[in-house]
Amino acid sequence: MKTIKLKKESVQLVKDVLKDIKASPDLGIYKCVQCGMCTSVCPGARQTEYDPRDMIRRVLEDDETVIDDDNIWNCFSCYTCNSVCPSGNNASEINQILRQMSIDKGEGMKKIVSFAAYGDSFMELGVGSIPNNFFDVMVKDVGPGYMDLKINIEDIRADLGLGSYILPENAIDEVESILDNSGFKDRLEKIKRCK
Amino acid sequence: MKFIPDKDILLFKSCLVNVEYPGIESSTCYIFDRIDVDYYVDERQSCCTGLGHYYDLFDQISTTALAARNFHIAVETGHKNIAVMCATCYAILKKSAKILNQNEEARNKVNEILDDSNLEKREYTQGDMDPAQNIFHVAEIFFNKREEISSQVKVDLTGLRVATHHACHYCKVHYNDTIEGVRDPNLIDKLAEAVGVETIGWYDHKRVTCGAGFRQRFTNKEASLAVTAGKLQALKENKVDLLLHMCPNCQMQFDRYQPYIEEKLDTEFNIFHLNISQFIALAFGADPYKILGIQTHTVPIEPLLKKLNYSLESNQKVDVKAKKSIN
Amino acid sequence: MNQDSSKDISNKDLKIGVFLCRCGGNISDTVDMEKLRSSVDAEVVEEFENLCSINGRKIIRDSIIQKNLDRIVVAACSPITHEKTFQKYINPLNPYLLEMANLREQCSWVNPDVETATEKAISLVNASIEKVKYAQPLDPVLRKTTKSAAVIGGGISGISASLSLARQGIKTCLIEEQPTIGGAMVKVGKLFSPEKLAEECAMCLLNPLVNEAVEHKNIRIMTNTTLKSAERRSGNFHLLIESKPRKVIEDRCISCGKCAEVCPVEVKDSWNEDMTFRKAIYKPFAQAVPDVYTIDLEKCKNCGKCQEVCRMNAIDLDMEGEVVPMTVGSVVIATGHKTFDMAKRPEYSYGRHDDIVTQMELARIMGVNGPTQGKLLKPSNNKVPERVVMVQCVGSRDEKPGGRKYCSKVCCMVAIKHANVIKQHYPDTDVIICYTDMRTPGMYEKYFKYAQSNGVRLIRGRPGEIAEKDGIFLVRLEDTLSREPLEIEADLVVLSTAMEPSDGTINVSGLLDVGLTEELFVKEKHSKIKPVATEVDGVYVCGTAQGPKDITDSIVQANAAAAKISELINGGVELEPFVASIDQSKCNLCKKCIDICKYKAAYIQDGMLTVDPISCTGCGACIWECENNAIEIMGQTDEQIIATIDGMLKDKKPEENRIIAFLDSVGYVSADNIGINKISVPSSVRIIKIPSMNRIMPKHILHAFKMGADGIIMGEYPYNPMYSRTKEKIAGLKEELVKNNINPDRLAFYKVYIPYFRGLANKFKEFDGEITCLEKG
Ligand code: SF4
Ligand code: SF4
Ligand code: SF4
Ligand code: SF4
Ligand code: SF4
Ligand code: SF4
Repeated sequence: MKTIKLKKESVQLVKDVLKDIKASPDLGIYKCVQCGMCTSVCPGARQTEYDPRDMIRRVLEDDETVIDDDNIWNCFSCYTCNSVCPSGNNASEINQILRQMSIDKGEGMKKIVSFAAYGDSFMELGVGSIPNNFFDVMVKDVGPGYMDLKINIEDIRADLGLGSYILPENAIDEVESILDNSGFKDRLEKIKRCK
Repeated sequence: MKFIPDKDILLFKSCLVNVEYPGIESSTCYIFDRIDVDYYVDERQSCCTGLGHYYDLFDQISTTALAARNFHIAVETGHKNIAVMCATCYAILKKSAKILNQNEEARNKVNEILDDSNLEKREYTQGDMDPAQNIFHVAEIFFNKREEISSQVKVDLTGLRVATHHACHYCKVHYNDTIEGVRDPNLIDKLAEAVGVETIGWYDHKRVTCGAGFRQRFTNKEASLAVTAGKLQALKENKVDLLLHMCPNCQMQFDRYQPYIEEKLDTEFNIFHLNISQFIALAFGADPYKILGIQTHTVPIEPLLKKLNYSLESNQKVDVKAKKSIN
Repeated sequence: MNQDSSKDISNKDLKIGVFLCRCGGNISDTVDMEKLRSSVDAEVVEEFENLCSINGRKIIRDSIIQKNLDRIVVAACSPITHEKTFQKYINPLNPYLLEMANLREQCSWVNPDVETATEKAISLVNASIEKVKYAQPLDPVLRKTTKSAAVIGGGISGISASLSLARQGIKTCLIEEQPTIGGAMVKVGKLFSPEKLAEECAMCLLNPLVNEAVEHKNIRIMTNTTLKSAERRSGNFHLLIESKPRKVIEDRCISCGKCAEVCPVEVKDSWNEDMTFRKAIYKPFAQAVPDVYTIDLEKCKNCGKCQEVCRMNAIDLDMEGEVVPMTVGSVVIATGHKTFDMAKRPEYSYGRHDDIVTQMELARIMGVNGPTQGKLLKPSNNKVPERVVMVQCVGSRDEKPGGRKYCSKVCCMVAIKHANVIKQHYPDTDVIICYTDMRTPGMYEKYFKYAQSNGVRLIRGRPGEIAEKDGIFLVRLEDTLSREPLEIEADLVVLSTAMEPSDGTINVSGLLDVGLTEELFVKEKHSKIKPVATEVDGVYVCGTAQGPKDITDSIVQANAAAAKISELINGGVELEPFVASIDQSKCNLCKKCIDICKYKAAYIQDGMLTVDPISCTGCGACIWECENNAIEIMGQTDEQIIATIDGMLKDKKPEENRIIAFLDSVGYVSADNIGINKISVPSSVRIIKIPSMNRIMPKHILHAFKMGADGIIMGEYPYNPMYSRTKEKIAGLKEELVKNNINPDRLAFYKVYIPYFRGLANKFKEFDGEITCLEKG
């Protein structure tokens, strides 16, 4: 049996969530009435064991294990929950905050290491795209034409009257420098080490 | 009704438009040129980090710092109104502008990062970018000019059963700014109407996400494609020929994976996918290969054009078409 | 002193009697009465043990008669305790020629030190003496109201209010926009009765009331009419009422219905929630009152067919509308509500399918006088549904754009009622209610249990969407208790839609100048203690125009509104005369005071600026706006305020600090509470009661500093309508001080609350400390 002790243990998780830079100033988590409307429209809930309403409940009840729950990685970030929540709450935003908490703890890094190539591309070209380690599987799923597209993209763009999509040298330098000073470079290295 | 500009516009480049459906960009420019929209593209503008952001790879501060840099480029060149072709860019830029305006600590941090990168000149001052007044989706710019659009139509596109897929990150993130419906989005339905095409309007799953779910497409493929399949199924039940998009990421999910899902489910959907810019450009009589860029599509658009008696002259070296789906 | 000195001299001739009360030691143990007596300069100074006792009356009265006194000061307890008593004791003098010095709550009880307490007592008495010199005889305001009322809206609330008024002998005009009275209640069919655990027939309950209203000699029912304009003058309302032409002569029509038979125009019947059709000439329902036909002006094609068949010659297609003026003493807003516009929640597919209906539509379907004569049949195919799913809180408790943040209060009970009715007549039909919370307060809980035992199923979850597949509805939600996303198949879906303010409510409130809430319901003057009064005196509200409520509550409120009107008319209400008075010779009708007054007390009548003494609170906000100095507040004139300040600061010693605290009535009671609780307060503090801080102007503040005040405190209760303005004012006052080289820190502003007296005492202490620091430099 769970006991809510008279001597208050400070309820920290929800406060941390609200303090997060991603949290909108009007994030209404305290107003949640557990109506489940978010879950009822949630593709993650329909396809997996993920339940945004229950995630909110656990945050409100200071259940830190929610951060380590694999299910939070099943959110599609589609914000459908946000668009209907009658109480001004935003499960999608809270999900993203919990994931960052999991990454900060280290556990979550394993979940995102396969996307690291996106970061490399970003720093190299100033643009991101589908991480190239997924090309093989995409070519397999989509067809060999997909590889042709990747190879010939600049020519196709030229045919369409568009210039190169890669940023000029000095712009890339600016981007790289920002990502260095913002700590992203270090973060990326750390994530990559997780492999 | 909110104010929508038609000048001083920075047409914001999107990573997925760049390399997956560049025809969206050429179509957008093609339309803008014909409806008197004054826009500008800046090669220095970086990508918004959207995919990386929702892969949870990027942290919010890095995303925001890069947004501040892009905002500065917009302001510096006198193109303070940003128009995006991708819904992810839309949500990411608005979120960043909100943080920069409302969160002093984050703003100072971002400016510190810019200073450390010798980019003092790109520092962000509160209010530089108004998330509601300066950031738009291209479709909104079109909507504001729908009369001009109607007057430019040269090709009759009626006779198709058309449905729309409204991008989640346009409708549902900053829903107070969304025009023409959040819970029953109709923005691109109205644009189709402007080129003379009546859409089917509401259908079950109309609001449902494309299924890409950023990481889900790669790490949770079954769930991801199940969502897409559900939507395709609903469209099929409504006998839809063509699904209109407003985001390259959604378009990828449907166009690239439809043949795959058809094979897996042993069914045929036979639904074409076009971005709203491509659709309007088509109505304007633009060249399918030189402007629409249909050569980068997986579900071939040629049968659709044939259905419309569109003359196909181009001779393309690249062909992304799925070999499996023979239409 | 910037006062008129000639007046000063004449005031000096006044004979003033000062009566000091020892209060059984409460005062005299701390205040040196000898010293106090000798320091007071007046015609008569007397001291007694218990002035409020019945002996006190004789002593004061005898003294007034024998010594020919003109003005009286009673230095005793707080005026809150005994002012009314002493006002009576000074008879034959006018009661307003009395001032009280609060020597107990605000002196002896808060100042244990004899020397400083005595000093303070002297200045309090002096202040009262100075002030009373300027007192003028006043008459209390007696509110008298014309014995007539207009009730706008002919639903259950309006009918109930009209009947109650009429039975109390008040002439009442019931104004209804529709061709018939009855409102929403006639449509609902059945009402729930928690005591009997049964449903009663709404029409059977309403009909006697309607009939009584029709028969009652004091009620005039005007259907097809709306309020066009309203003007308030000295407590009366001049209304213009516009009636649409019915095009059927009421006295002739015998309601035979022949006309409708021949009318070629079919119109969706709003009485049946658009589920059936009627003709362009129609009577909404069989028992409609008045019992006559009406032509729908928008739909009639003027073909004249009806005219041909009408044997009574009742139809007049050329009939014109008219505008009727009327004057009434009071107005009741009973304009009701409307239901939520389902276009705002398209995901529930309302309007896409016939078998997704609202509770009101279900009520019509199950009404014996409805489209299916009371049988529960699906609109699409006239078959009994296998499963009815009800969705609660549709549009209510919803913060999203278009939604209503409040709970609509009745829909849980309505759903249970309909579920019970279905279960009784169609036990094989499954009924599921999808809810977030079931709200069945009080006795209704019994009815809720009854529904449960009837087999009504409840699933806790708010549906996100309703889809249709192959003719079957899918209600999608999460069963939050079993943590499971769920799809419920149904063949009839019923939406419990929100109650919204009706357009009539918004229009009528605009015409009457009555304030609305954020949600656009009529705002009550005070939700707890003045629930049926509005911001405009003489205008009352009842029923759903004021917010969601059920029939019982609507009727209770209607009766309350009628009782309030009757109070005004019969007893009349006696009010303190401390209100604004206008010097017509100075007023140039700039109307600035009218705009500023939040109590809507000022208006122009017959080319003269008039203040309704019943609405005016004497707050003084208008004085600031008046550039011509045409406004005074009786009992709080500039002279009186200045005189009080002078008295408070008289004989100040060089080393002594004196702080003047202007407190509103809430602050004054709070200060009394400090005394009652014997909390000590710095002896420097001298309290002056002022109706609203808006009354205090730069000249008063500057005068106080000039006369030696070391600091000034202003304290006001933040929940009065003028408070927002007060805050701006304080900033202005501080600037004024700076201009006059006075440190603005010498002026402090606090919020005051009655129970928070300890806080106020602390504020006094802190401020006294700050002033002492400033003095030391
Ligand atoms: S987050 Fe919103 S939608 Fe979800 S359970 Fe809470 S109140 Fe309901
Ligand atoms: S954003 Fe995530 S939690 Fe919200 S509806 Fe989409 S998948 Fe579900
Ligand atoms: S108007 Fe004439 S025909 Fe119509 S109901 Fe009245 S009496 Fe009968
Ligand atoms: S005149 Fe009007 S009401 Fe009379 S029958 Fe013709 S359409 Fe009907
Ligand atoms: S009464 Fe019940 S259904 Fe109606 S809004 Fe309140 S909780 Fe919801
Ligand atoms: S004193 Fe106050 S309430 Fe009276 S008229 Fe002036 S502003 Fe209105």
